[in-house]
Amino acid sequence: MNIVEFRGIHRSMDRGMEVLHGIDLKVEAGEVVALLGANGAGKTTLLRIAVGLLHPHRGTVRLFGLGYEEGALEIKQRLGYVSESELLLASSTVEGIFEVHRALFPTWDSSLESRLRRRFGLSGGRLRFGTLSKGKKRQVALLCAVAHRPELLILDEPASGLDPAARRELLEVAVEALNEGSTLLFSSHHMQDVERLAARVALIHDGRLLLDRPLDELRESFTLAVLPTESSVTMADLRRVEGCLGARVSNQTLRAVFEGTPQAVQADLAQYSKFDGLICSRPSLEDFFVETVEGQP
Amino acid sequence: MARIALIIRPGGDLPIYRQIVRQVQEAIVGSRLEAGERLPSHRELAKELVIAPLTVKRAYDELERAGLIRSSRGRGTFVEALLEKGNEALRLEGLRPQVRQLVHEAHLSNIDLEALTALLNEEAERVDEVRGKGLGEEGSS
Repeated sequence: MNIVEFRGIHRSMDRGMEVLHGIDLKVEAGEVVALLGANGAGKTTLLRIAVGLLHPHRGTVRLFGLGYEEGALEIKQRLGYVSESELLLASSTVEGIFEVHRALFPTWDSSLESRLRRRFGLSGGRLRFGTLSKGKKRQVALLCAVAHRPELLILDEPASGLDPAARRELLEVAVEALNEGSTLLFSSHHMQDVERLAARVALIHDGRLLLDRPLDELRESFTLAVLPTESSVTMADLRRVEGCLGARVSNQTLRAVFEGTPQAVQADLAQYSKFDGLICSRPSLEDFFVETVEGQP
Repeated sequence: MARIALIIRPGGDLPIYRQIVRQVQEAIVGSRLEAGERLPSHRELAKELVIAPLTVKRAYDELERAGLIRSSRGRGTFVEALLEKGNEALRLEGLRPQVRQLVHEAHLSNIDLEALTALLNEEAERVDEVRGKGLGEEGSS
């Protein structure tokens, strides 16, 4: 079953500028999908539409097969969400926040709550949320998102601004949720976190879905090709080659990403003498992201 | 349960599942993992390495296809007897993609087959040294 289904999602911001131009994306039960894209590409807007904080101007979003018109409460009870910005009330105490969540979620697991509170050092609870450090705030939000053991976890750049130890702890909690069978849709700028968690990558560029592939395929069936700029090849030449996802000039080199293994791409391009000096290798996820996004016309 | 220490590097040259496959292969070939030992479950290893359980599954599937481990429902995942004769053809076949890539890369680098074979023999000798003589005798029995 599709746990999340976006169909033809369009959304404009207040001034009328459209930020999502028709996104189609499905996440099946048990999948882990990472949403990648440059700042401003539309990731947060799409995730806010998924959790019902924004509605699409055109298109439909369904979670667990339900639309928000008919099933908002049920959706929200089966969903956990952590956003980069703080949605919890600054004047509430930590204990007060947990109390509200306990009441809102029938499936709230108090033993998981106590375990995570001990782990995060949140045993007290009299402190006001607004006075906590960024890391502590994120831990409170994460606890609220997972303690009802949601079927779907949506994390919007959950690790941004966290130190490496806090980031690792967050990943550990996410892995525990995956071990329990949760589905995960998350956005991140940390490519290592993406590699740790994601099985599929959806790349959004300027409000459009540029690519939706298994992560291992990106690492193994694509090629980063680099060519010195002194050669007679132009960026346009590279973009015309079949399977080219993006190409750009970076300092002294032309850099491009191709679909196909390095061996195949190298052999392919070796037919043309003008591609002499070309180096092909497997891209890291970061290479893939940078060259594809920066290499768009 | 077999205690096996794995180090994974997200962002490394290989995808994480391949890093696991390679390290388990090396542990088996280097006799750090012995036939019959139980490997951690998907969930246990996922928790240990802080990676998605599906990635562990993918690695185990690959190792199982190569005939190096075997999962049985409810009991767990176990290291196979490496030197068992029966499925040698299957295990050999499992190596074909790597060999194909190796030959391809040698071809691209203008290395002839003889030099490549010599390199293979050299590496094989090194493995023999690591594993010691005892295992060699077991293999011929």
